Amino acid sequence: MELGEVLLAVGRFLLATTLLLLLTVPTAFIVIQMELKVIALMQLRYGPNRVGPRGMFQSTIHGFKVLAKEDITPDQADRPTFTMAPWMVFMAAAMSLLVIPFAPGLVAIDSSISVVYFFAVLGLSVVGLLVAGWSSYNKYSLLGGLRSAAQMVSYEIPLTLSIVGIVVLTGSLSFTEIVEWQRVNGWGFFWQFWAFPIFFIAATAEINRTPFDMVEADSEIVAGFATEYSGMRFGFFFFAEYVALFIMSTVVVTLFFGGWLPPFFELPGGFIGTLLGVIIFFAKTYFFVFVAVWMRATLPRVRVDQLMGMAWKWLLPLALVNLFVTAAIVLIFNLKPVGGA
Amino acid sequence: MADLRRPRPAASRLGRGRALTAPAAAGALVRALTDRFPELAGSLWTDEDTVELQSDGSRNVEVLRTLRDDEALRFWWLGDAAAVDYGPHEHFEVVYHLFSDLHPAWLRLRCRVNRADPHIPTITGLWEGAMFHEREMYDMMGIVFDGNRDLRRIYMSPDYRSFPQRKDFLLPDDAADSSAAGVNPLERPETWDLSRFREELTRSPAPHYPPADEAAE
Amino acid sequence: MTAVDPETRIPDPIELDRLEEERLAAALGVAGPRGADTSEYAGFETVGIPDRPPQTEREAEMYSLEEGEMLLNMGPQHPSTHGVMRLVVKIRSEMVTDLDPVLGYLHRGIEKLCENATYTTVLTYVDPMDYMSAMHNEHAPAIAFEKLYGIKTPKRAEYIRALVMELNRVFSHGLMMGFLALDMGGITPILYGFINRDEVVDLLSSISGQRMLFNFLRVGGVNWDVNDEFINRLSAWRVNVGKSIGDNETLITENEIFVQRTKGLGVLSGERAISLGVSGPNLRASGVPFDVRKAHPYSIYDELEFDVITQPGGDTYARYLQRVAEIKQSLHLIDQIVDQMPHGPVQAQVPGIIRPRPGRAFGAVESPRGFYSVYAISDGGPNPYRFRMRDPSFISLQVMPVLMPGHLIADTMAVMASLDPIMGGVDK
Repeated sequence: MELGEVLLAVGRFLLATTLLLLLTVPTAFIVIQMELKVIALMQLRYGPNRVGPRGMFQSTIHGFKVLAKEDITPDQADRPTFTMAPWMVFMAAAMSLLVIPFAPGLVAIDSSISVVYFFAVLGLSVVGLLVAGWSSYNKYSLLGGLRSAAQMVSYEIPLTLSIVGIVVLTGSLSFTEIVEWQRVNGWGFFWQFWAFPIFFIAATAEINRTPFDMVEADSEIVAGFATEYSGMRFGFFFFAEYVALFIMSTVVVTLFFGGWLPPFFELPGGFIGTLLGVIIFFAKTYFFVFVAVWMRATLPRVRVDQLMGMAWKWLLPLALVNLFVTAAIVLIFNLKPVGGA
Repeated sequence: MADLRRPRPAASRLGRGRALTAPAAAGALVRALTDRFPELAGSLWTDEDTVELQSDGSRNVEVLRTLRDDEALRFWWLGDAAAVDYGPHEHFEVVYHLFSDLHPAWLRLRCRVNRADPHIPTITGLWEGAMFHEREMYDMMGIVFDGNRDLRRIYMSPDYRSFPQRKDFLLPDDAADSSAAGVNPLERPETWDLSRFREELTRSPAPHYPPADEAAE
Repeated sequence: MTAVDPETRIPDPIELDRLEEERLAAALGVAGPRGADTSEYAGFETVGIPDRPPQTEREAEMYSLEEGEMLLNMGPQHPSTHGVMRLVVKIRSEMVTDLDPVLGYLHRGIEKLCENATYTTVLTYVDPMDYMSAMHNEHAPAIAFEKLYGIKTPKRAEYIRALVMELNRVFSHGLMMGFLALDMGGITPILYGFINRDEVVDLLSSISGQRMLFNFLRVGGVNWDVNDEFINRLSAWRVNVGKSIGDNETLITENEIFVQRTKGLGVLSGERAISLGVSGPNLRASGVPFDVRKAHPYSIYDELEFDVITQPGGDTYARYLQRVAEIKQSLHLIDQIVDQMPHGPVQAQVPGIIRPRPGRAFGAVESPRGFYSVYAISDGGPNPYRFRMRDPSFISLQVMPVLMPGHLIADTMAVMASLDPIMGGVDK
């Protein structure tokens, strides 16, 4: 490889990383704003309506408020890990954005194993949560950290197994190729309607959203792993959580709802097509963010034993059954994946 | 705020038993009670919806058990257990209020407790729920319930030394200008004896702020 | 501006604390200050054990840890302890093995205050006790004092009393539905409950003048007769309340997660409940048909037509259903009261300062949390010689150590919310 190519690749990587890191900030603000406003409307309240037009900048102000707050480290906390944990959680969420295709050609790293990369990197956040829980010298934090470890380890398995069906159908581990396959064959949801609920439930648990927010169950263990965090470090956890919600929605859209593909027509080429693709992609993504917010406003939290029981007794067997049925169908009807493998 | 130091002549009379004054709707209950407790019949008293019985403190468990288990009485519901202080030279009373489906009246049992040596048997063996009642009475009045396995302070802190609902407990603003000011050790934190809990700490020199030269070092 | 002279600098509090700790540690012969030993979690699981010898058998049992157990302090500042209560929970991983409620963080000595207040002002002091049912708090002392003073409340006043009692019960139970859901992670029902509560307290404020601590009852009557605003609001509210309660029910009663979590959780048998002194909806949810309104009728409840509702289960779900059923029962009672309300005065003739003859009186009412009673002794003076209140949520809290061992931390909150204790009443 020539030096120029290497430099180009490195430059492209740095640019993409920077842009995506910058993207996380407005994304988190928008998701938080959505959560504030949507839940308020569902609860027959006004919600934020003071900062900016229709309270539009409330979450932004929240962000700056968190920045300005005092950052306290407990006396007996394990300082290096305590400081590092928020970064680990946030970076895991932000780095997994690298492989998400927003529109044709608009992807930071178009890797052929982006699906594997995605789940590997997103799974790293459990380390951050566990470290945060352990290093705080707080019993609530410890319980929260342990819960997060148990929960994420359990739900990683049905989560990844449930998409193997799609991978078998498409014969590819690349998000871009999976979307391309859906352009030809229709949305993955119609092929894998059974895998979608499994994936969605497991994803909700994976990112600790209601009804599976055991990790920071505020009525039981105060704030879980984040109990002792304040200021910007708490802000990072907060950000990471909402960015993760956004990312999980993008993956749902990419794998099951055609990514940037519009429902009834073909995208035009060129810049217009890319722009339209991005708009369609974000519209679909925010619909699933909305569904998550809706669930938060409606459902109570499940208990920790019910949570684990659901992962191992229901989701995992169902995901396995789904995988076998899909594989059998692919074999029997001799379906040709788009990659021609 | 009422003046606690004013004489309360009627208070001492309150503790005495009074005769049966009015026939209540609870005639059957009165008959059953006289039948079961002939020796307490002298203390029977009723008003429009209450029948009252007095007994000595040491007999409370026995009387309450009969009241609860006897087929003709069946007072299954312990409504309330309260302590009353009749003043420094009088006595305490532990008052139980009971309810039964069979009788249209509250039953009040007043048990006399010696104020100098306030001991009375616990009734947690009859009603588990009396536990918090007894802890509260101990906390507020200082009545010791023998046999209660969790007789701790419930409202005040564990190192509190006084019993706030006794009639000789002065409120802070009264205490300041009472004749006992400077003498009575009640309600003054500096007189609380914490040595039981922190012996080592009291042996070390009293806490002090370091003088300027020490702080500079 | 001059620099601070280090000679005269006042050390800041944190530094003082540190110096004090070092001094104490040196005096005790312990190595180093507290912050020095950060490398290991020394003593992590023993945090919470009091630094004094146990005072009772039970305390010794509670505060001694076996291998693998640790103490968890829930409260006094905790999102779901319904006020400032502390639950010391002994846990083995997530499993609760023992539990000790520590009370007194809100203790105001209301009994002592009332013993130093006149009979009229006592009704003001008892308001902030159980602040979810201020009307009931006033009712029991009013009954006791009327008995003590020997006056009869006019019929219309009794009807108005019953009316506001039932209104109070509706919003209290409605809020309990929300709090139970909130403690289990559902955030919306509490908001619906508060919308309903706001309507009712506005209603009650139009008759009493205050929104939370109504101070509406008087010895021998009530403060005001019903007015036009009250009547208008009442009819508007009565039309809509079914829907607002129904919304909440859709969110909770039929929710699979809620049902799964509460059914069979914290089962309290009838005998055990009686023995523990549990009363009110919690007792009736265990199948014991004990309701003071029926058992020992006060006010005008013997003139109204209603049945004592019970549930067979005795679990958390039954306690919840009991509340819902009682809301509907209260609405039914409100309809009857409004239909039958007679004309007449609302206040008996009572002097400014009441001096009853020496005597004792006991008054009990059925508050939304259960058997709420007052025992008052008069010595002929202007203030009660002894004023004793039995608060139902205080006694109900004893259930927690009985029910919780063997359940999870998450269930602790659910069971406690289903018992519906209000700390203002618990701590008096």
